[in-house]
Amino acid sequence: MTTAPADVEKTITEFLNRVDKMPPSLTADLALYADGIGLDSLETAELSAILEDEHGTDPFNDGEMPETVGDILAFYAASA
Amino acid sequence: MSAVPDSTQRVVIVTGGSRGLGAGIVRSYLDSGDLVATCARSITPEVEAWMADPETADRFLWAPADLSKVEDADAFVKAVVEKWKRIDVLINNAGVARDGIHSLFSDDDIDTVVDLNIKGTLYVSRAVSRRMLARRSGSIVNISSIVGLSGYRGLATYSATKAALDGLTRALARELGSRGIVVNGIAPGYLRTEMSHGLDEDQLNQIVRRTPAGRLGDPEDIARVCQFLTGPGNSYLTGQVIVVDGGLTS
Repeated sequence: MTTAPADVEKTITEFLNRVDKMPPSLTADLALYADGIGLDSLETAELSAILEDEHGTDPFNDGEMPETVGDILAFYAASA
Repeated sequence: MSAVPDSTQRVVIVTGGSRGLGAGIVRSYLDSGDLVATCARSITPEVEAWMADPETADRFLWAPADLSKVEDADAFVKAVVEKWKRIDVLINNAGVARDGIHSLFSDDDIDTVVDLNIKGTLYVSRAVSRRMLARRSGSIVNISSIVGLSGYRGLATYSATKAALDGLTRALARELGSRGIVVNGIAPGYLRTEMSHGLDEDQLNQIVRRTPAGRLGDPEDIARVCQFLTGPGNSYLTGQVIVVDGGLTS
């Protein structure tokens, strides 16, 4: 899969449905952790692995942890 | 060339599978029809035979790697995923032993044993568990040793690293259990392999006399337990270290 925003969003959406944490709408400013989607540490590791599998790279292993959905999209946009 | 494996074939990584116990485990998974990848620092006649045999060549991947280096560990796991798309089973077997009274043990020997036995295992487990998490399935077996439980004179560093693997087994089982990944350890007793070469003939004979089974272990004894722990029927036995020593420590 490419690193185009639509493809990355599709990966995130499929993952959130899998862990039953899909919000009513997926917006860029939505926080990934406690005050937003509520991913725990294991779910974060799963998302990290799935993003790497699907898109070849992974923002969580790049030194700075993404805080929002927008941070993930920005990582792929910057590396495109 | 990359290929998607048959759904009945497991993709198996056995670290340190070029000789001794590791080679016995590789052979067992090749015999059960699986796709097997292994690595070690140097190639051996066993590895060359598997690469040349038409029966195994397409199901066997070899790569030279020093797993105490994180870049080698990551590159090896990546090569397996690129070839076969997934990893179903990881057998953390790579290890090294140095013997000597601890108060005289060199810095180099401590580093060599700790770097491969602990850090190498952590590097490979991290890379592989990411792939297993993404698929929500997998089996990991850490090969430790009864000396990690009982200790052995002259093997302080090695014993410490094997006890560390038992801790890793329990922690990873707790961490990954909810995602369908089982993690166990096997603590072999004394085997008839190169790793027993630090023991002299008198010591080995003494061990045989004290062993209820009346013999040293063979790699096949350990491989059978690996197959059981990583078989499709096992989804409930996790976080355990199984002692396979002919009854020596019973």
